[in-house]
Amino acid sequence: MKKLLTAIFAMAGTTCALAQETTTSPLEISGSVDTYFKYDFAKKANNITTSFASDHNSVSLGMIDIALKKKTGKASFVGELSFGPRGQSQSIPDAAAGGSSFHIQNLYVNYDFTDQFSMTAGYMGTFIGYEVISPVGNFNYSTSYLFTNGPFQNAGIKATYKFSDKVSLMAGVFNDWNVYSATRGVSAVGGQLMVAPVEGWTAYLNVLSGAGAGGYGTIEDLTTSYQITKEFKLGLNAANYDIDNDGGGYAGAALYPQYAVADGVILGLRGEYFKYKDVGPVQGVKYTAVTLTANIKSGGLTFIPEVRLDHSGDKPFFNKSGGAAPNAGQFSLAAVYAF
Amino acid sequence: MKYILLILLITISIDLSAQQKQFAKDDNGNFIYYQVVDSQSLSKDTLLQRAKSFVNVVQKKTMKAESITDTSVLAKGTMIIDKTILVVGHPSGEVSYNFVFEVRKGKYRFWLTDLLFIPYQRDRYGNFVATTKIGVPLERTPGKLGAGAWKDIVNSTYTKIEKFGEDFKRYLATDRVEKAKKRTETISTKKWE
Repeated sequence: MKKLLTAIFAMAGTTCALAQETTTSPLEISGSVDTYFKYDFAKKANNITTSFASDHNSVSLGMIDIALKKKTGKASFVGELSFGPRGQSQSIPDAAAGGSSFHIQNLYVNYDFTDQFSMTAGYMGTFIGYEVISPVGNFNYSTSYLFTNGPFQNAGIKATYKFSDKVSLMAGVFNDWNVYSATRGVSAVGGQLMVAPVEGWTAYLNVLSGAGAGGYGTIEDLTTSYQITKEFKLGLNAANYDIDNDGGGYAGAALYPQYAVADGVILGLRGEYFKYKDVGPVQGVKYTAVTLTANIKSGGLTFIPEVRLDHSGDKPFFNKSGGAAPNAGQFSLAAVYAF
Repeated sequence: MKYILLILLITISIDLSAQQKQFAKDDNGNFIYYQVVDSQSLSKDTLLQRAKSFVNVVQKKTMKAESITDTSVLAKGTMIIDKTILVVGHPSGEVSYNFVFEVRKGKYRFWLTDLLFIPYQRDRYGNFVATTKIGVPLERTPGKLGAGAWKDIVNSTYTKIEKFGEDFKRYLATDRVEKAKKRTETISTKKWE
């Protein structure tokens, strides 16, 4: 027993001594777990076809997400994996065919050459758009059409220069969207200008041009949020995607007003207009969607009750009898725990 | 049995000592970390120089001097608050503060107050970043839902500020010039008799 204790103290002492001698940060572990119940008013699964929370009248799983980060001197890495429907078959790509494996959310290394200039290489969450795969990063539990149709992740190499706290510029070369290895070579270039004109307001102007969904094309995106008062925050996402040779694409905008009504209770609305572009004589479908969401926080746990109503004159939805319908609605209650 | 009682006693002592760590309040009802330090062996000028050096050099990434006179240093700063369990954890937010240092012959005092907490959230790249620019006063009374988490934040902040205070006092008590002169010991292997 004495030997064992001595060994433990010796190891602990060595670890402490090493920690004092290097500028290594501790290994960061973080992540989330989410689960949800959803009820579609027409009693159909997948009636609203945006990403995730697809089941009807079921207590279903989101995902468990685990992220590791470590920084040693100027070098750092992030590795983030997710397991569960939201992080497997419903994300793209699934790490193995069949939807039974895992999804890599982030896997990259970063080097800070100076306080202003850094370079990053690997597989990263996309810089395009307002919403993300992780439910911790979104206010609404369901996702927008803009998110569903845009890139989820980009593998590539990017350089970021921070001119000041108010302006930074990123430029990089990337594979086609959502692939761990390029199917069409390193075929896209992208950039992001970040500006923070006043305190609390941040805007990202993004461009990605090259191989993407449906062919080669260019996506322009504005993502911005402004914490106007302690209680009120306003977000906006607008994007336009053109696929070359009249191959389609989409355009849309979503507004995200949020108001803190009490300590730990925030109400928010998402109003979205989205349209697929016409391809030859085929007219693209138009959608409008309104989502009312509450976030009720207690420590790491967030309850997210949500009501969503979508409309499209092209009748892409189903009614209770299975016929085409111009409207769809759903209620969901999600529980998300972040650690 | 004796060992069990000893472990229980130590655990209770640690728990009590953890509970005793709390901020005092200033005249305005704000949390304050206030220290008066007797320092007879160092001149007023030396203490002032070291305080300036601490703000402008040692803490240059996290503190910014607002005003410097021949008896005081005023600065603003931030510190990262993390939920660290042994070597594993992640930042949970940052606390901004106002720092005041005043010196007289043979003693000095300093305090940190106007503590504002800004929570961090993991961004799309897996990094923890501020979710807002608007800080919440640390002395606010939280709602029932967030009371436990808020208590952890206040306790973590106190621990960080206490360490900051100890580092500051140690820096002011240490002669850096003398320390710089002490070079790494060189060992020659050519002769060993």
